[in-house]
Amino acid sequence: MTGPFVVTDAGIQLSVGTDEQGVLRSVPTLLQSGDDAGGRLDYTPHPDDPAADAEYRELVGDDLAHLRREDRESFNDLVAGEPGTPENLEAFMRVIGEVRLVLAGRLGIEDDGWEAEAEMQSDPELALVGWLGYLQDAAVGVLSELF
Amino acid sequence: MTVAPDQVDVPDVDEFDATTRSWQVVVWNDPVNLMSYVVWVLRKLFGHPEAEATRLMLQVHHEGRAIVSSGPLEKAELDCHRLHHHGLWATLEKT
Repeated sequence: MTGPFVVTDAGIQLSVGTDEQGVLRSVPTLLQSGDDAGGRLDYTPHPDDPAADAEYRELVGDDLAHLRREDRESFNDLVAGEPGTPENLEAFMRVIGEVRLVLAGRLGIEDDGWEAEAEMQSDPELALVGWLGYLQDAAVGVLSELF
Repeated sequence: MTVAPDQVDVPDVDEFDATTRSWQVVVWNDPVNLMSYVVWVLRKLFGHPEAEATRLMLQVHHEGRAIVSSGPLEKAELDCHRLHHHGLWATLEKT
């Protein structure tokens, strides 16, 4: 049994079935919908200081949104089967993480230990959170070996 | 060499304080990010050895938060920005 990533001389390639590839192809649309129910993609360093928060946001501008757009491009390339660099896999991993955060917000996941009680089989979104976690963990494994 | 100015603008005390005093970057626990991913992010962003990154991750997990870096405001905000880019919940505190 092989993992979901293959490292060759050409680079790192995603190795999943056609169905899984289709699911992954649709994943960025979850982020484009703006459905960040828990506000988990919009953290601020100064939650208790509106003035400092405003100053910080003016400083960083839309840099985070720009970085996330670049990450999604790398994500789409890997999902399309193109070999990528470790940096591309890092971007893939971040997108997976963003989707898990958004889905978790939508599912109302707020406490540790939710996996133990989750009925993955009966809830497609929970199952997706779990499967994306498997992919992210595998990506961490690949990157840790290359680190 | 330069000539000493006749007159200097003394920075506002609060402004001086905010930019020069040390700030701590705090990572907070969340129920979603994988432990393995958090360890990897702390290694990648701050160059921590795996054992130290794991210690910090476990502190976040068990105690709800951990201080992962510190420095002047500009550096601390940049660290926070990079953590947010990686999906981690991070805030700043004055030391």
